[in-house]
Amino acid sequence: MAGVAVPRAARPPWRIDTGTVLCSGVLALVAFGVVYPVLLVVLQSFQTALPGQPARLGLDGWHAALAEPALRTSLWNTLTVTLARQVITLPLAVFVAWLLARTDLPGRRGIEFAFWAAFFLPPLTVTLSWILLLDPEYGLVNAALAALPVVGARLGKGPFDIYSFWGIVWIHVITGSLTVKVILLTPAFRRMNAAFEEASRVAGAGTLRTALRITVPVMAPVILSVLLLGTMVSLQTFEVEQVLGTPFRFFVFSTTIYDLLVTRVPRYDAATALAVLVLAAMLPLIVAQQWVTRGRRYTTVTGQFQSRVHALGAWRWPALALALVLVAIVLGVPVVFALLGTFMKLFGFFNVPEPWTLDNWRTVLGDDLFASSLRNTVILALGTALAAVMLHSLIAYIAVRTRYAGRRLLDFVSWLPFTVPGVILGLALLWLFLGTPFLRPLYGTTAALIAAGLISGMPLGVQIIKSGLMQLGGELEEASRIAGATWWTTYRRIVLRLMAPTLAAVGMITFVGAARNIANVALLSTTANRPLSILQLDYIAEKKLEEAVVIASIIMLISLAGAAVAYVLGVRGNVG
Amino acid sequence: MFAPHVAVDGATLDVRRGEVFTLLGPSGCGKTTTLRLVAGLERPDGGEIMLRGRIVASVSRRVFVPPNRRNLGMVFQSYAIWPHMSVFDNVAYPLTLRGLGRADVRERVARVLDMVGLSGTEARAATLLSGGQMQRLALCRALVYEPDLLLLDEPFSNLDAKLREQMRHELRLLQRRLGITVLFVTHDQIEALSLSDRIAVMQRGRVEQVGPPRSLYEAPASAFVRDFVGSTVILRGRVSGQTPGRLTVALNGPLRGRHIAGRSMAAAAVATGAEVHVAIRPEDIEVDVVRSESEPLPGIIDTLLFVGDRYEARVSVGAEQRIVLLLPRTREWKEGQAISLGLPPDAVSVWPA
Repeated sequence: MAGVAVPRAARPPWRIDTGTVLCSGVLALVAFGVVYPVLLVVLQSFQTALPGQPARLGLDGWHAALAEPALRTSLWNTLTVTLARQVITLPLAVFVAWLLARTDLPGRRGIEFAFWAAFFLPPLTVTLSWILLLDPEYGLVNAALAALPVVGARLGKGPFDIYSFWGIVWIHVITGSLTVKVILLTPAFRRMNAAFEEASRVAGAGTLRTALRITVPVMAPVILSVLLLGTMVSLQTFEVEQVLGTPFRFFVFSTTIYDLLVTRVPRYDAATALAVLVLAAMLPLIVAQQWVTRGRRYTTVTGQFQSRVHALGAWRWPALALALVLVAIVLGVPVVFALLGTFMKLFGFFNVPEPWTLDNWRTVLGDDLFASSLRNTVILALGTALAAVMLHSLIAYIAVRTRYAGRRLLDFVSWLPFTVPGVILGLALLWLFLGTPFLRPLYGTTAALIAAGLISGMPLGVQIIKSGLMQLGGELEEASRIAGATWWTTYRRIVLRLMAPTLAAVGMITFVGAARNIANVALLSTTANRPLSILQLDYIAEKKLEEAVVIASIIMLISLAGAAVAYVLGVRGNVG
Repeated sequence: MFAPHVAVDGATLDVRRGEVFTLLGPSGCGKTTTLRLVAGLERPDGGEIMLRGRIVASVSRRVFVPPNRRNLGMVFQSYAIWPHMSVFDNVAYPLTLRGLGRADVRERVARVLDMVGLSGTEARAATLLSGGQMQRLALCRALVYEPDLLLLDEPFSNLDAKLREQMRHELRLLQRRLGITVLFVTHDQIEALSLSDRIAVMQRGRVEQVGPPRSLYEAPASAFVRDFVGSTVILRGRVSGQTPGRLTVALNGPLRGRHIAGRSMAAAAVATGAEVHVAIRPEDIEVDVVRSESEPLPGIIDTLLFVGDRYEARVSVGAEQRIVLLLPRTREWKEGQAISLGLPPDAVSVWPA
């Protein structure tokens, strides 16, 4: 009887072998869907033979990626656009998040929801809306400025040109960069212990000094994490540059890759070499992001405190005005003008006689393609959402709650889709589907697009569920085990029930993401499984902007509905 | 013979049926891990755990019974009340897992809720309960299926002082009524002393001493137990004389020249002139106003705090030593006052340094 029990636990009690098998199965599945395509990309970058010819290995692609001026320029453009976006949006986002979470700004809940809704707007829709305002020839803003008595003549024609470097940066600031930071930072700021700020106030610092000297430094890890996340997301962009950059021959690497792929003789080697360069740049960012968030657990930001807010006093009205202007820019203008654009006879031309018409809606709704695309989109979005909730929650659970040996690897692998440009991920999946015999029948089906959405949505989905799980005390599960429940019963009756709002929100986010996904599915879709987002791209390619904006508006309305549902379900960007 | 056995770092702990057995120790001493090992929430690296004659964990025999098949009850530090369930559902959960019929469940839940005064809250969302109510609910959930052993992991630490005292009495009463065996983990010596039939004092994964509360307090087996259970005043000196079981000590330092007698706590004989520590519980010190400069120790009241039912005084003894004493309200005391400290030999223990 006298044994020695060193009071240190080695493994969790439910580490039964079936559990290990399940975890390994998930890891294998994720590795196949994520690591294998990445490997294909790397290998393809050394494969210089043209499609259809015998394989030949070489460094031509790398040579092109590193030496050809056009490709070098596109890397440089990517860098400068990314830098400009982050530099502009970070201070602004920190300020807005502070206003929303730490002050008595009037209507802050509504404003927060507006940013949340704006985050869901498809970038392409926003781009089309702002073209109406900032087109150098016909944009309303430019026209209004030109009509001004004295200044108008001085400014000449079109002081604002959306088809420019700053035009692209502007759209990025509006679509992703600002809103994503605000919705990630605001809940984190809200969870901060108010005692830090109160101590500073009592010590004699004013509101502004407290914000700059206490709040921002305390939140530095979160801010850094959001910045890294934002940088990763911004390296992914595709549609905005495709629409705004191509007319003036401005390429970033994602549009360059697309360009290399859709020409008559596709340059797979150069395109994939570029992609590998991006991947190499992303990996340190991921490691940094994980390192920063790991450190955050030690910081003093917890959810246990009542956060009281600062009274802004007389400053609340200027602050409110600023917030409302931002909301108008990120949400109001895109929604109003996208809808307005659908009723224009000639998209962007307000000065033609009788500019308004219902014909665009009639044309699109009467198009056979529309009906099939809508059906494809609904199946695609629903399927992706359901699959994502199941797979992503399983990954998150294994990473957070089990002590499975490969859990860190699984966690890391779930980030990988962030590192691969969307177009390339689509291409790699294309190779995966065509190159794997048992998957070949899936090519051209909606299932292939669901797989693409599942993989591209993995980093965000897993992260949100992970942080939800981490907030869920482990004792709630242990209590169930003690009460006599098996692992599986506990998972069903405790974990899934408590996580239901988070899972529903992840499902909604994935639904919207799949509905508007362009980059991942552009190369995977055929006439049989073409969703609305690609139909809209086709319309743009055919210069049918009026029809494109109708589709864009429909996708936008679907997205906004999804945003509202996800918001009501109560998860507001608990990432990072 | 139905006793659960807990083996910790070489020592075997034996919890007798129907008793409250407490693991007491500072944080990080391994008491919570021990509890979790018993619960089956951790796997032992070695040794054996037996519950009612059944081996539930044994490394050498490759036995590990998962927590859901041990029939234990547990109250967690955070209570772990499931927020998505009502009060009724929380208590009914373990019963439905055991396949009880609906009427049976209803009846048992009603009975156990009534026992702790939660009747009428069945339909309420569990998250709307107060801290004390949540704890009672957690207790109900752990007791409703009549477990073989009830595990309590610091259950009072989240309650305020008054509620804590009340819950101590309630738990004691309930335990007596049900005759249930309890394994209790705490770092609070008052909780341990007041609730337990027996206490195991733990330090760094080792059991220092096992015994009933009084014997632990009055006859600690080691300096760690002496200092951890209750507070102690310690003076240094050398043995100056001895009779069987008794030592007389000449104090060192500023108190040189004063002699104190006490019980010897050394295992072997102590040589005259050996360095020793003299220990006494502050409440055993007889405080008086100074009458003569002779035998009792002299002290000076540095600070005097009125705490309601008594005074709390910090007293300088000699030049360096400061001790905290509780002084009765019935006398007038003031700061700077000289007092005399009497040390009754029966209350004084002498330890090898």
